[in-house]
Formats: sequence, C-alpha cells, structure tokens
Amino acid sequence: MARPRKVFYRRRKVCKFCADKIDYVDFKDVKLLQQFIPERSKILPRRISGTCARHQRLLQQAIKRARHLALIPFTTD
Amino acid sequence: MRTYELVFVVDPRVSDEDVVAMTQEYKQMIAAGGSQVVKEESWGRRKLAYPIAKLNEGKYVLLGIESEGGKSSLPEVEHRMRQNDKILRYLTVRTDEDLKRAASRHPKAAARGAGGGETPAGEGASGPGGLAAAGEA
Repeated sequence: MARPRKVFYRRRKVCKFCADKIDYVDFKDVKLLQQFIPERSKILPRRISGTCARHQRLLQQAIKRARHLALIPFTTD
Repeated sequence: MRTYELVFVVDPRVSDEDVVAMTQEYKQMIAAGGSQVVKEESWGRRKLAYPIAKLNEGKYVLLGIESEGGKSSLPEVEHRMRQNDKILRYLTVRTDEDLKRAASRHPKAAARGAGGGETPAGEGASGPGGLAAAGEA
C-alpha cells in the first residue's frame, strides 16, 4: 500500500434494535439476547454495541428476566 | 385490559403428563380468578444456563394471560408456585404496556414483537424433549 490509511474500518455503530425496528425486547428471544452477552456473559455495554439508550434499557431488562429463568447464564466460569 | 406472560420451569424428573396436569391446575386457578389463558406453549425439556437445585435441565411452560383490570388470581398462582418445590423458577411479566408502547413507535413492525412468536427451542433443548415442545396445548 502506498500510504497508510488513516481511516480504519469501523463496525456499524448503529443501534441494532432501531435498525431492525424491534421495540419490544422479548426475554424469550434467546438468540437475540445472546448477541449482547459476550464470553463472560456480561451485558455488552452500549459503548461497544452502539445500542441506543432506550433499547439498552429494554435489553437489560430482558436479559435479567432471561437470566432468572436460566435461559441465559449469569456468568461463565 | 392487561396481558401477562407467565413462564415456569418444572423439575425435569416430573413426567410430561404431570406437567400437563400441573399446568391444567394453574390454568383453572387463573380462570377462576376471572382471567383468560390465551396462549399456552410447552417448550419441553431444555438445558438450564446454570444449575438450579443441582439440576441441569428443566421443562418450560409458557402461559399467555389476559385479564380485565382489577382483580386477578395471579398473586395467588405465584404463591402456589413458590410453594411447589417441583417448580424451579417462575416469572410473570405484564406485557400490555410495553407492547402498546412498542406498537405506537413502529405500528407496522409491532406485530412481529407481539408476545414473541419465537420460542427459544432448538439451541439449548436436548434431544427428545425438543420434539415434545409443539405437542399438547
């Protein structure tokens, strides 16, 4: 490459829920929730995922509900 | 009108018939309290994300409930579930407000989110139980 590119590739930092028009985050939708729980099973912060505040709030609630029912883990050890 | 979703997890050692019987009992309680059970789903045997009471699996049942404002027997049902040691977990969620809010934001997309047509089957579910999921009702 002739000159190093200053602009490095950035993932889309768009709220997934806004993009997909999901307004009700269902705690039963494990597949969806799993996208927001990385290896350690913590809730992915929105600074990483780009989720907007409203949807992060709904997501958080849904994840906690799913955890209670053992649909998704609290931690991985 | 209020809508609720009630999910409970039953000890996997309880036979499928007994789970159905238990579900029936709770449905009757709900009906006796003046609410309607509008949806019933059995997800069958499913792996738990973490062990509960040294068990690694559970049988999941979901009930969708509609109830006119005011009295409902849900607190009573919950109370009974708490006392039933065959029930590992239960969760009641009121959904009408959130769904309404969702519907007003994206009127078109709302139908998809409504009550969640998708069940988390497959994925964690183990062999034979997965098949039983769709049955009954």
